[in-house]
Amino acid sequence: MTDNVQQVEEQTEELEVIDLAGANAVIDKYIDMHGNLMPVLQGIQEHYGYIPEATVHLAAERLNVYASQIYGVLTFYAQFHLKPRGKYIIRVCMGTACHVKGAGRIGDAIKERLGIGHAETTEDLKFTAEYVACIGACGMAPVIMVNDATYGSISVQKTAEVIEKYQAMD
Amino acid sequence: MVNLTIDGKQITTAKTSTIYEAAKENGINIPVLCYAKKLLPYGACRICLVEVEQMKGRLIPSCTTPVTEGMVVNTMSDEIRKVRKTVLEFLLVNHVVECPVCDKGGECDLQDLTYEYEVVTNRFQGEKFDLPTDEINPLIERNMNRCVLCGKCVRVCDEIVGYGSYSFINRGFETKIATAFDRGLNCEFCGQCVSMCPVGAILPRPFKFKARPWQLKEVDSVCGYCGNGCTVTLGVKDNQVQTIRFNEDTGVNHGNLCVRGRFGYSFVNDTKRLKKPMIRNSNGILVEAEWEEALSAAAEGLKAAGSSAGFIAGARLTNEELYLFKKLSRTVGSDNLDHSGGECYRGVTEGLFETLGVKASTGTFPQIESAQAIVAIRSDFYETHPVVGMVVNQAIRRNEAQLTVIADKKGKLTKLPEARTLMHTPGCEINILNALCQTLLAEGIAVTDGVEDVAALQAFLADYTPEAVAQTVGGDAEAIKKTARELAAADKVAILLAYGLPYSAYSKELATAAANLAILSGCAGGAGSGLYLCGEKANSQGAIDLGIVPGAAGRGVQKMLQGAADGEVKALYVVAEDPMVTYPDRQAVEAGLKKPFLVVQDIYLTETARLADVVLPAATFAEKDGTFTNAERRLQRVRAGIKSPGEAQTDFAVFTRMLKKLGQVTAETPTQVFAELSQECTEYKGIAPADIGPQGVVWGGESLAPTKKQLKTVAGLVPMDASYLLLTGSCLYHSGSLSTHARGPLSVVPEAYVELSRSDAATLGVKEDELLKLKAGDQTLQAKVKVGTRLPAGVMFMPYHFAELELNRVYKGQPAIPVKPVK
Ligand code: SF4
Ligand code: SF4
Ligand code: SF4
Ligand code: FES
Ligand code: FES
Repeated sequence: MTDNVQQVEEQTEELEVIDLAGANAVIDKYIDMHGNLMPVLQGIQEHYGYIPEATVHLAAERLNVYASQIYGVLTFYAQFHLKPRGKYIIRVCMGTACHVKGAGRIGDAIKERLGIGHAETTEDLKFTAEYVACIGACGMAPVIMVNDATYGSISVQKTAEVIEKYQAMD
Repeated sequence: MVNLTIDGKQITTAKTSTIYEAAKENGINIPVLCYAKKLLPYGACRICLVEVEQMKGRLIPSCTTPVTEGMVVNTMSDEIRKVRKTVLEFLLVNHVVECPVCDKGGECDLQDLTYEYEVVTNRFQGEKFDLPTDEINPLIERNMNRCVLCGKCVRVCDEIVGYGSYSFINRGFETKIATAFDRGLNCEFCGQCVSMCPVGAILPRPFKFKARPWQLKEVDSVCGYCGNGCTVTLGVKDNQVQTIRFNEDTGVNHGNLCVRGRFGYSFVNDTKRLKKPMIRNSNGILVEAEWEEALSAAAEGLKAAGSSAGFIAGARLTNEELYLFKKLSRTVGSDNLDHSGGECYRGVTEGLFETLGVKASTGTFPQIESAQAIVAIRSDFYETHPVVGMVVNQAIRRNEAQLTVIADKKGKLTKLPEARTLMHTPGCEINILNALCQTLLAEGIAVTDGVEDVAALQAFLADYTPEAVAQTVGGDAEAIKKTARELAAADKVAILLAYGLPYSAYSKELATAAANLAILSGCAGGAGSGLYLCGEKANSQGAIDLGIVPGAAGRGVQKMLQGAADGEVKALYVVAEDPMVTYPDRQAVEAGLKKPFLVVQDIYLTETARLADVVLPAATFAEKDGTFTNAERRLQRVRAGIKSPGEAQTDFAVFTRMLKKLGQVTAETPTQVFAELSQECTEYKGIAPADIGPQGVVWGGESLAPTKKQLKTVAGLVPMDASYLLLTGSCLYHSGSLSTHARGPLSVVPEAYVELSRSDAATLGVKEDELLKLKAGDQTLQAKVKVGTRLPAGVMFMPYHFAELELNRVYKGQPAIPVKPVK
C-alpha cells in the first residue's frame, strides 16, 4: 500500500480553516425556501469569492443534501469557483478571431509574467487568468478583459503594460 | 395483466412490468448495463434498445418502457445489432481495456457484450482515460478508467444505502463519478456499489488477485453477525473464504449487505484461530491436549458439579447447537442456562410476553417497506442492523413513509429525508414512548378494542403529557403529538427496537413501553404492521425460541457469575461468548469466571478462554450446517463452505461427543436434531430443514398475532445529572467482539474511540485523534477522540467491542455513565 501514501496524505491534509459565520448567515436566509441550493451556493460564493470546501460540508449538513451532490452541481456550472480567485480576473479571449490574431501568444505572455495559465491564480491572490470563448469584440481582436475593462488589439508588449498597471494598484 | 408479443412469443405479464422485465420472465435475454432490478428505472446506456411495431421509426429502451396491451416487440434485428455494437464501440473508445489483470474479468458485462457483439475493431478513436485510481481505503478500490457511467453506484448509494458518496461531476468528456471534492472514498463501506458495478471500476480490495470468478465455489449461507440474517454467498477456493459474492435472488436482503457481512469474513481464515484443545496443567498453564482428554476433563468437571453447573451460550450458535447445549445442561441436571449476557434480549422478549403474549417481532422485514409511519427507538438501530436501516430508507424514498427517531444521539437514521428526531437525555426513551401513548389516549385516537387496563394506563400517564416530558427529557411537545397522530392515522406502522449487550439497562421496561405504543397505535396485530425486536446476534431469536433461559430453579447469567464467585456454582461452560470483554461489570465477571471449573469453547483464545481450565476449539458459521432464526422469525439454512482449521470442530460435533461422554445417545446430523427440536419447540413444529428454501421459512406467519393486548404501566427515568454522560453501544462497523478479529471492519475502525460534540471538544480543548482520559468512579478510561455532529453537548459515546479498552470496568448496565474528563 506504500504507493498510496501520497494519496492518503493529500486526503488527510487539513481543510483550510475558515470562518463559517458568513456561510451560516447565507444558509439562514434561505433555509426555508424550496429549491434553495443554488441561491445558497451563489450567496456563499459572493461572500467568500469562491466556494470553500468546509462550506460545502456545512451546507450539506444543514440542508440535508449529500456533499457529493453539491460537488456535482458545483462542477457542472462554470459560474462556481472552488479555489480562491484573484482580485483581478484577466479573461483572455480564445475565440476564432482572436485565436487567428495570436491570442495564444497573449496567454503565454501572461503565463510568463505572472506564472498562471487557465483557471490559475497567483499566490498573492491578485490575479486569476481565464481563457474564454468569443467575448463579442472580434473587431478589436485579440482581446483581453481585466474585470470589467476591455483591452482590444492587444500585443505581448501591451499585455505587459496592462499587467503592470494592475500590479501597481492595490 | 397485459398481453403482448416478444420475438413471436405470446406473453402475459403484470401491468407494471417494463419490456425488459417481461422478456426476462420469459427467458428472453436483452442486454443491459445501467438497469438493476433493485434500482429505479434510469435508461442511460442504450444497450437494451429493442423494436416495437407500434413505435416504428426509432428504437426503444426496453428497461424503461412499460408494456402495453397488444405490443409487438422484437429484441433482435440487424439494426438493433448494429446500434448495440455502436454503443459498445463508443464505450470502448476511452475505456482502458485491461481484462487480463482486471478482477472483474470473467463476469464483466462490458467484456461479455464486447465478445458477444464481436467488437473486434473500433471505428472511433479517442483519448483513453488516464485517471488515478482511488486506493485510499483498504476495502474498496475505484478505477474510473474502467467506468461506463451507468450511474448504478451513484443510485444504489442514494436509493438504497442513503449515504450518498457519489455524484456525476463535470461535463462532456470530463464527466466522471466522484465523491465530494473528488477525494478518496470514505463511507460506511457496505460494498453495495461494488456489487452493482457492471465492470471492474469498483472492486473489493481484499479480493484482488485472489481468484478468477469461475474458480470460486459458491455456497449460500447466512451472515454470522447480526440478527438481520442476510444471505451471504461465500466464494470459496483452497478451503478459504476468498470473498462474499453478490447474490440478489436469495434471502431477505436482495443482495444488500453491510460492511460486516461484505468484508467481515476474514476472521474465518485467521491463522490465530484455535486449532487444538487446551487443558490447564498442574503448573497452572494452558497446554495443548488431545480431544479425548479435553472432552473427558470437561465432561467430568460438569458432571461433578451437577445441578451447580452453569451453561452460558452465545447467540451465534445454530438452533441445532443451542438445542444440544440445552440438552447437555439437562443431562448434568442443571437448570442454570442462559445466553448473551442474560438480561438484554431476554429482558426485551419478557416485556413483550407480558403485554402481547409473544416473544418475537410481529411482522417481517419486507413489510417495513410499505409502512406509512415508522418509529425507530434509538438511532443505533442503523448501527446494529444496517440492512433493516436500508429498508427504512427505501420506505421513505419510495413510499414516503414518515420516520420518527427516538434517540439520545443523531445518526444515519435521523438524516433520512423528512426524518423527525425526538432527542431526549440519555436513558429516557421510555418517557418519550409514554408521552406518545398519553397523546393517543388523551386525544381519543388510540385503538382500545379488546385492550386490557386502558383506564389504569391512562391514569398513570397523567404525568407524561408531551409538554411535561419535553420539559424534563427534551424533545418537542408538538413533534411528539404529530408522531402520535401519524401513528394513529397510518394503516401500516412499523416500530423498531434493536437490542444488544451494551444496552442491558431497563431492557424489559423499554420493550413494555414499546409494546404499549404498539397496542394503542393499532400496530400490534394490524395487517402489514409490526413491532420489531431485533436481537444483536445472528441467532438471538433462536435462543429465545429454544428456551436458552434459566429453568424453573435456575439462575440467569448474572446470578450464575455471582454464584460462581460465592462458590455456589461450581462449574461453568461458556460457549461462543467472551464475557470478560462484552458483559457489563468486568470485575464481577472476572470474579465469577476465576473461581469455578471453567470450560470455554470458542474460535479464539479470548480473554475469557485464558481463564479456562479446558479450552475447546470451535468453528465459525462458515464451517457449519444448520439453521439460524433471524429477528423477524425467519428460519434460514446455514451451510458449510470450508473445513475448520487444524483440529477445530463445530460446536455441534463437540456437543454430540460431550453428550456421548455423559452417556446420552443423540442424533448424528443437524437435520436429525432439527427434527427432534421441532417436536419440542412449538414455534418450529411442522417445519423441516428440507422446506427451508432460499427465502427461509417464517414461523408464525408474516404477521404474528398477539395472544393478548395487556397494557402495563412503566415509569420513565429521571434524567441523570452530570456535566458529562458517557453512552456505550454498537458502532456500525462492528458486532460484538467477533468483528474485532476481522480485518475488514478493523481496517475501518481499528480501535476504541470516544466520540463527542464539537462544542465539548472546544470546551475541553481536545482535537480529533488526541487522547482523552475519562474518570468514572475510581476507574479511568482512555481513548482517541472523534469529533462529530451526532452527539449533543455533554454526551459522549464509546463503542463496546474492543477488549483493550475494558469499558466494562465502568459499564455495569447503567443507562449512562457519569464521567469526568481529565486532560
Ligand atoms: S460502499 Fe456503500 S456507502 Fe460506500 S460508496 Fe459504496 S454504496 Fe455508498
Ligand atoms: S463506477 Fe461502475 S457502477 Fe459506477 S457508473 Fe461507473 S460503471 Fe457504473
Ligand atoms: S451483519 Fe447483519 S446487516 Fe450486516 S450483513 Fe450481516 S446480517 Fe446483514
Ligand atoms: S473571437 Fe475574441 S472577441 Fe470574438
Ligand atoms: S439498460 Fe436500458 S438504457 Fe441502460
